[in-house]
Amino acid sequence: MQGEDSRPIKVEVKNLTKRFGDLLVLDDMSFNIRKGEFVCVVGPTGCGKSTFLNCLTRIHMPSEGDLFIDGVPADPRKHNISFVFQEPSALPWLTVEDNIAYGLKIKRLPQEEIKARVDQILDLMGLQESRKSYPGELSVSGEQRIIIGRSFAMKPDLLLMDEPYGQMDVKMRFYLEDEVVRLWKELGSTVIFITHNIEEAVYLAEKVMILTNKPAKIKEEVMIDLPRPRDITDPKFIEYRNYITDKIKWW
Amino acid sequence: MDQKTTKQKNIHNVLYWGLPVLAVALIVVGWIAFSGAHPELMPSPLQVWQRFLKTFTKPIAKTTLLGHAWASLRRVLLALLVSWAFGISFGILIGWNKKARAFFGSIFEVIRPIPPIAWIPIIIMWFGIGEFPKILLVFIGTFVPLVINTSTGIEMVDRINIHVGRIFGGNDGQILKDIVIPTALPSIFAGIRTSVSSGWTTVLAAEMLGANAGLGSLVTRGWQGSDLSLVMVAVITIAIIGALLSTILQKLEKVVCPWND
Repeated sequence: MQGEDSRPIKVEVKNLTKRFGDLLVLDDMSFNIRKGEFVCVVGPTGCGKSTFLNCLTRIHMPSEGDLFIDGVPADPRKHNISFVFQEPSALPWLTVEDNIAYGLKIKRLPQEEIKARVDQILDLMGLQESRKSYPGELSVSGEQRIIIGRSFAMKPDLLLMDEPYGQMDVKMRFYLEDEVVRLWKELGSTVIFITHNIEEAVYLAEKVMILTNKPAKIKEEVMIDLPRPRDITDPKFIEYRNYITDKIKWW
Repeated sequence: MDQKTTKQKNIHNVLYWGLPVLAVALIVVGWIAFSGAHPELMPSPLQVWQRFLKTFTKPIAKTTLLGHAWASLRRVLLALLVSWAFGISFGILIGWNKKARAFFGSIFEVIRPIPPIAWIPIIIMWFGIGEFPKILLVFIGTFVPLVINTSTGIEMVDRINIHVGRIFGGNDGQILKDIVIPTALPSIFAGIRTSVSSGWTTVLAAEMLGANAGLGSLVTRGWQGSDLSLVMVAVITIAIIGALLSTILQKLEKVVCPWND
């Protein structure tokens, strides 16, 4: 459906397997993600999506197989990996701007660079006015936006998002989905976005990876070849949505 | 509508300013009434005021009231400085490091419930009644709440915040400094507040048992000389300084932990 993608391979996952004791959660998953690609991962509830992400961030170590970034085994110290959790994870004692700068400071970037990136993110997200506020003074969606800004500010090699809009109402979700697309296009980050909302996946992704029930394998990769901004009432959009829904339903 | 809310606001303001004043006024009225009915049990506010003025013209043990207050305050502050340094560090250690908690935790649990005053006989036996044993006693009284509050605060750190630090590639030191300690800061501050009030209580107990200077010694002196006015002067001074310290700490907390409103 799509012309040959000429972007280089950024992330390579080879035979990723995770067991907790006798319980096999991830079963020999292999896939590639190109530089700057936006990939959504969908799958049935409890299929191991979070374990999958936690292996990519090294919160859990995989039992077998590995994740390579630019051909080197992934290492949070060497690579730039960002994560947006499902739960609000802004640091309450830092102001909005300091939260966005947090990862950059850990990586010891030069002061001017940190300032420039924080300003860019605040501009892109329209958060300039609340830069000196504390996360507790913003709404839940405001807090989630800080975290998304913080992750994009890293200009990460790989940005992982774990159902970041799971807690939000439809209107706020549409707004934030557009915001993520804008940040992604502007900064060219490589994104893996996990969701259980198929409409969201089709709206955002260049490629949707469908996982099977536990133990999770990759059932299919679907390229979404639709122009942006996407229209959820477009018959082609609905076709993609129904196709993926069927894939998840059928075991 | 707006007028109504402004009016309501005004009433609220008057109410919340007025009620504390009313409470103090009631105490003073009660005091006047009680001292009028039983002058042998309670000096009147006027007598206490005159006694207060006399502490400046006729110093007690060669020291004015201010000198006595400073003697007590100096002991507390010295002990607090040492106690903050050691108590907070120790609290961080046993809150953060499981092995340290396993090793020190049980000893600490045994020592913790002992009231600081219970150490007085042992400390007097070992160190006499000079300056050092008093400061040591205050140190014991302030160390415990600091360790408890600090370690509890450290243990309460949210795993997700530690994950945030790890994913961004933070090392243990950075995570402790940037994530764990800030999480615990409000709790550490609660410990500091408790330590100040318990330090103030302990120093008075220590001084009542033998000191030439200090507000505690004034209480004992007044008591033994049946000079109840002097006791009242000392008690009110203790209360005022205690209240001042607590206000200063509250302001300081707003500066140090501005997010914690």
